[in-house]
Amino acid sequence: MQRLRGVRPVKLTTNERWDLVDAIAERTVTVGTYRQTIGDILGELTVKPATGIPVAVAVLYAFWSIFGSFAGTLVTDGFMVRLFDDHWLPWLQAAWPGPDSLLYYLAVGDPLAETCFEAFGMLTSGLFVAIGVVLPAVLIFYLMMTLLEDSGYLPRLAVLMDTVLHRIGLHGYAIIPAILGLGCNVPAVTATRILETRKQRFMMMTLLAIFIPCGAQLGVMRDVIPDLVGPVMLYLICGFGIFGFVLDRIIPGENPEILIDVPPYHWPAWENVARKLWTRTKGFLKEAVPFVLFGVLLVNLLYLAGVIGALADLFEPLFVTWFGVPKETVGPLIAAFLRKDLAVAQLSTIAMTPYQMITSVVLISIYFPCVATFVMMLREGWKQMLAAVGVLFAVVFVYGGLIHAAGILMGVA
Amino acid sequence: MNEPIDTGTTVLMVGNPNVGKSALFNRLTGANAVVSNYPGTTVDYTEGTLIEAHRTCTIIDVPGTYSLTPRDAAEEVAVRLLGEYPGAVVLLVLDATRIERGLYLALEVIERGVPCIIALNMTDAAHDKHISVDAAEMERVLGIPVIETTAISGEGVKQLAGMIRNAKAADISAISGRLNGDGAAEEMVALRSGCSGCGVCGR
Amino acid sequence: MRKKLSELAFGETGVVTEILASGRELNCMGLRKGKGLKMVTKQPIKGPVVVLIGEVEIAMGIRMAEQVTVETG
Repeated sequence: MQRLRGVRPVKLTTNERWDLVDAIAERTVTVGTYRQTIGDILGELTVKPATGIPVAVAVLYAFWSIFGSFAGTLVTDGFMVRLFDDHWLPWLQAAWPGPDSLLYYLAVGDPLAETCFEAFGMLTSGLFVAIGVVLPAVLIFYLMMTLLEDSGYLPRLAVLMDTVLHRIGLHGYAIIPAILGLGCNVPAVTATRILETRKQRFMMMTLLAIFIPCGAQLGVMRDVIPDLVGPVMLYLICGFGIFGFVLDRIIPGENPEILIDVPPYHWPAWENVARKLWTRTKGFLKEAVPFVLFGVLLVNLLYLAGVIGALADLFEPLFVTWFGVPKETVGPLIAAFLRKDLAVAQLSTIAMTPYQMITSVVLISIYFPCVATFVMMLREGWKQMLAAVGVLFAVVFVYGGLIHAAGILMGVA
Repeated sequence: MNEPIDTGTTVLMVGNPNVGKSALFNRLTGANAVVSNYPGTTVDYTEGTLIEAHRTCTIIDVPGTYSLTPRDAAEEVAVRLLGEYPGAVVLLVLDATRIERGLYLALEVIERGVPCIIALNMTDAAHDKHISVDAAEMERVLGIPVIETTAISGEGVKQLAGMIRNAKAADISAISGRLNGDGAAEEMVALRSGCSGCGVCGR
Repeated sequence: MRKKLSELAFGETGVVTEILASGRELNCMGLRKGKGLKMVTKQPIKGPVVVLIGEVEIAMGIRMAEQVTVETG
């Protein structure tokens, strides 16, 4: 028997290849009469602007309210807060020996604290933020995100968003890294590869690292500053638009139009949903928990060594005069490099006005991406990463000042 | 008789975006590649191992691409991988509901003269849409094994795993020859090692 | 009647007669000369259009849709 392995390569022209494709398809494919299914009708309704835009708003609103009510109200407030503040904290404060020792300070924190947020020890605030607040948040977030991904809704959302996003140099498909980023920025950075040109990828990676808060941060925000989440998100979305527009004008490169498949709707297979949920949650537990604990440790050590005090004095003019926030926020900003959720939790214990709180949470969001995101950006290329960091500093400085100015104009800062 | 492809073979899974490559990959290797219903879920490659009949092969889940002229960075990964593994078997994953564009990419790969095998995936969805694809005829025309699969439910996956070692390179001129009807009987190659004695190959 | 793909109305069908050079990548998505298609939706203010070709739905930018000529009726 003759073997055909190692056949000589040939190169057909595009037309020859298509002719061959047509000939093969004609031989092998028969298409019967096709009836529209409910899925197809739903598919059309969710992509037509008159019906699709209200649906998109409803979907995103439902997303947020389920996120808030399940993760926040039900699990965190209803169960975790009681568990940690009423049982874990008093027990640990009593059981851990030597309230004056360094080890006590690092592990438990303030011996007189009444909530796990205030104590700020590794085993109190660290565990509470990671397990009590962020874990339920990312769990429910990932569940809903997986359902959106698997149903086939995202490409339709991309089509609807394209009209807006194309104006700032991206295209609708940039919504995919954006939504993934709302869960965690780390996979979102890699997901920017679905964009076509270097310009678009760079823009999206930068905007993502700056303006998209991750699920962990959202979870903490919803818990500690529930009334201020709205304004914070508004500032972030406006920032995304403004700086996207500016970057589009500055950065050379092409800005191709969207060209994507819109797949039919599917029922998500529960097996796949469960598998993804498990993989992502496991990833969170493995990556985030150690970082949160280490973050608490590092911040406490830096406090003890006087580093944070010195930095706060150094940056006081910038923080107080330019951004209009208390100089104490320099501590959370350091923690933010490790974990943004931790930083927001830490901010909530500093006394300040609501507007200062909004400003400082926005600053935390837009300032340096967390270590893990940083590493992913580095993997996409160090030149791009350096450029992104450059953009980032400019944005923090300009936008922080703008927000302060807006506050002064509104008479609240 | 066909000698089996060497053990330690690398298998590249190539196909259009959103045809179910990752789902099939998970089925074949028991790995945990992320599967979603939107084109572009896989932007980087994932490696897994398939052990079939005491042979081990490395399977690589390649990001989906519409052609070998890449449009975005994920597609570039696909083209780069094909270049990096010149000796690899290519498992072409075609979506039975969108067969033409899949065939276009398949031909591009076949033209390179590498051993190929085709998984005709999403046959369940095709059935729902009243599209039927004649896998046997496609196998005859292309001269490479074609196996129907439904990655979501796992149908046909075992058979596919067993057929990987029968992957073969196809000759474009022979394909056009068979399409034009002058495919002489001696040109026919027995694709399955366990020949059922259909008689075409004259054995 | 011949018109640009971008000019098709909702639900209108046509057959592709010509694709200009810059619209070549549409080929790989299944949009080719001689193929029938149907306009599913057009987004407002020069947003993208969604067309159905056979069983495949694809979304493309409006300028790309202008590269395609279709024969209607």
